[in-house]
Amino acid sequence: MNDYDNIWLHRLKWTYLLLVVLTLMTPVMYVMYVSFNQNGFGANEYVFTWEWYGLIFSDELLIGALRWTLMLAVVVTVITVPMALLAAKYYKAADNKLFPVFLLLAPLFVPPDILGSALLVFFKNLNFALIWLGDQIGTSLFDSWFRLSFLTATIGLIIYTIPYSFVVILITMGRYRKEQTEAARACGANGWRAFWDIEFPQIRAGVFSACAFTVILVFNEYTRTSLLKGGFDTFTTVLISQMLNTGMSPQSYAMSAMVSFVAIAVIGSIILFTMIRAESLSRTARAKAEPVMS
Amino acid sequence: MADLSSSAGGAVPAGTDKTPWRERLAPWAFRAPLIFMVAFFAIPMAMTVVFSVFERTMFWMEPGFTLFSYENFFFSARLTNFLNSMKYSLISVAICFVFGFPIAVFVRKSIPEVAQHRVVLLFILPFMVSEIIRVFALRPVLQRNGLVNTTLMDLGIIDEPITALLYTHTGVVIGEVLSFLPFIVFSGFLAMEAVPKYIFEVCDDLGVGPWRRFVDVILPLAAPGIFAGSVFIFVNGLGVALLPNILGGAGAVNAGLIATQAITALDFPLAMAVSAIMMATLTTLLWIGHKLFDLTKILTPLS
Repeated sequence: MNDYDNIWLHRLKWTYLLLVVLTLMTPVMYVMYVSFNQNGFGANEYVFTWEWYGLIFSDELLIGALRWTLMLAVVVTVITVPMALLAAKYYKAADNKLFPVFLLLAPLFVPPDILGSALLVFFKNLNFALIWLGDQIGTSLFDSWFRLSFLTATIGLIIYTIPYSFVVILITMGRYRKEQTEAARACGANGWRAFWDIEFPQIRAGVFSACAFTVILVFNEYTRTSLLKGGFDTFTTVLISQMLNTGMSPQSYAMSAMVSFVAIAVIGSIILFTMIRAESLSRTARAKAEPVMS
Repeated sequence: MADLSSSAGGAVPAGTDKTPWRERLAPWAFRAPLIFMVAFFAIPMAMTVVFSVFERTMFWMEPGFTLFSYENFFFSARLTNFLNSMKYSLISVAICFVFGFPIAVFVRKSIPEVAQHRVVLLFILPFMVSEIIRVFALRPVLQRNGLVNTTLMDLGIIDEPITALLYTHTGVVIGEVLSFLPFIVFSGFLAMEAVPKYIFEVCDDLGVGPWRRFVDVILPLAAPGIFAGSVFIFVNGLGVALLPNILGGAGAVNAGLIATQAITALDFPLAMAVSAIMMATLTTLLWIGHKLFDLTKILTPLS
């Protein structure tokens, strides 16, 4: 049966799909709703206010945490995305694809707490081993390489985000035809030029989405960051420790809502941007296809 | 890679050192991500087995061989909790499949190809909000005086608030479903790549009903993707400590929570034993899946 034979069934399925998305978003939207209430959660009266958001931005601790979070997000993105790109190129040309793909996608299947604790113990042992090694050869050069710090948190988050970047980039690469690189090489371009001038412009969308993904994932991540970070706090670790210790305060509603707003704004603007771009591209394509009137 | 390595070594006779160092280095740059993953992912995960048999000291561990941590896991309430969390995780997988997979089929079958990716993108939206926040946000929704209960009471459907929604196994299952449902849509969407659209027409022409079409045609073809999605949900249901921690009540303890609690209690060998057990579970599942369905098929659209 064709779907359009029974338009109501088709509409029903669409309604179901949107209902599921709505259900998934309900908790978040409810938190946003509560975050603007002067009286907080469960109050009989709803009074709109910005007060709780004001409190966030006057909180030194939170601003510091926000700074750390952004720094972590930027550093992880700058490393992860080029690595995922290299890995995708390697995967495309590799004869044995099973090993690289297993290695790069396996972190998806390892739950956060398990990955976090395994890396935590690994880094601590590595640190002790390096200190011992330093003692043997009489240097303190290696002493703090793998002490829990920004570096260890970065490594943990790279492991966490690389599968997503890898998949996103690989999907966009699927549309690229290798012959174009061969043509460029035949014209005398070196490997880098062929990549940068011919291939990159065509996979740029994927690379940028991978960047956005990575930033959002790092911004949102709690478990791995909190296990592997050194003596600093990120936005989510502050938020969660507040929630676990004192329960949900109006301010924590505002913080959660704000994190969600940021994520939705980023992903929303990407969707908008790609739509507008696709529209303008098709317009130029149409214009080029039009016969020249003279 | 072919285009890169040919420039790197192919043309130059072996033994001559004329190749510029940049070109000799290039192939290694492409292996760098893999080397990184081996060093900081594969090795640490494998080392969990080694660390799990170390002796526990007051604040840390020291090299040795003892199976005490495993004893500690298998001969205590931890095992019961672990098996229980497996049960509830399986229930979540089933619920996610029932609610999520039809969406993937619908998107592939009835939505024009150009729009398919955008519809799937809708499911990325909730996924982009921090999981922790979504889980925490369920508390005010499911609470005694939360959104669900007040709405149901306002509508006159119930007189007394339902208290079984939060701090129970039900709460954990609800949390798991709401957190992981998008994944079955994504993996189902990828899996449906293996089901060409004309299959639906062929089935119509042959007079096959929707149920038989689903069981005999779609399910076998999409099995690798469905399996991968299900394993993902199952393992995360076992491993995400925050779900039982925030939504569960007494007895709602999964492997992730056992591991993090062990770390808080400075019992590092136990945490490593739990991690090793989880890795063994995961590897076994993926191995079985690979033997049954050849999981590399999922990646056909990617290569």
